[in-house]
Amino acid sequence: MSNSFSSTKAWMHGFLAKHLQFHIVGTFIISLGTATFCNFAVAEPGNKAYADFYRNYDSMKYFEVKSKAGIFQSAKGFEI
Amino acid sequence: MAYPMQLGLQDATSPIMEELLHFHDHTLMIVFLISSLVLYIISLMLTTKLTHTSTMDAQEVETVWTILPAIILIMIALPSLRILYMMDEINNPSLTVKTMGHQWYWSYEYTDYEDLSFDSYMIPTSELKPGELRLLEVDNRVVLPMEMTIRMLISSEDVLHSWAVPSLGLKTDAIPGRLNQTTLMSTRPGLFYGQCSEICGSNHSFMPIVLELVPLKYFEKWSASML
Repeated sequence: MSNSFSSTKAWMHGFLAKHLQFHIVGTFIISLGTATFCNFAVAEPGNKAYADFYRNYDSMKYFEVKSKAGIFQSAKGFEI
Repeated sequence: MAYPMQLGLQDATSPIMEELLHFHDHTLMIVFLISSLVLYIISLMLTTKLTHTSTMDAQEVETVWTILPAIILIMIALPSLRILYMMDEINNPSLTVKTMGHQWYWSYEYTDYEDLSFDSYMIPTSELKPGELRLLEVDNRVVLPMEMTIRMLISSEDVLHSWAVPSLGLKTDAIPGRLNQTTLMSTRPGLFYGQCSEICGSNHSFMPIVLELVPLKYFEKWSASML
């Protein structure tokens, strides 16, 4: 019975390394892109919404509107 | 208050809650970054036949995946600590209100000037008027002046409870034999709802909190009428 085990070292072509090099860049692009998208699609509009709301905010005007709607127990209507 | 199909936090009614909203956006962005990175790597591993079964050392990649998470954790910790210390700033409250948790209602005491105290029970579903919110309305609301700093002292007469109002970014445990303090400042008038946030027995879900924030002169009129 002959031993068919080969003793020569396998010749690597660097396919895995090339695959990884390409996709590592892709991974970072996708994850940083996701984070950037979250920031500009969710966080920034939220910040802007709060800034716009409070820029010319008049709390008494909002109180008048809510009071006339009759939601307060302590301020029925809007009598002073 | 919360609304059906809500995904995020309630709209902020205090400066601290606005900071918490921004912090949540920042941290969620980091969560999506890491999740997309991991998902992409897993999908890569599942769609390749290329393998490397004889790795002996990987100093460089091990350094990267130690340093990078440490940097990410620092990026989360710094804004978190900033808000934590902001919550503890000295702010000279104009009013102090005490609240005691009971099974299964809250009681409130306004004792700065006169002795005003009342209990606040949930309105049962069968007694709600049209337009009122199920499991959230109470018979006596906590009326407070808006745009003023208020000190809340919270404790309990029996078991653990927790006094929480999400839109103000407040949640403080009510512990028997202990007095916990939190500071409240609303930038807007209106009604703000919360619920007991520590399991306290069979009616834990049925002891809500309703804050009614009104201008100071209405608060003064209300407190005089309650005496």
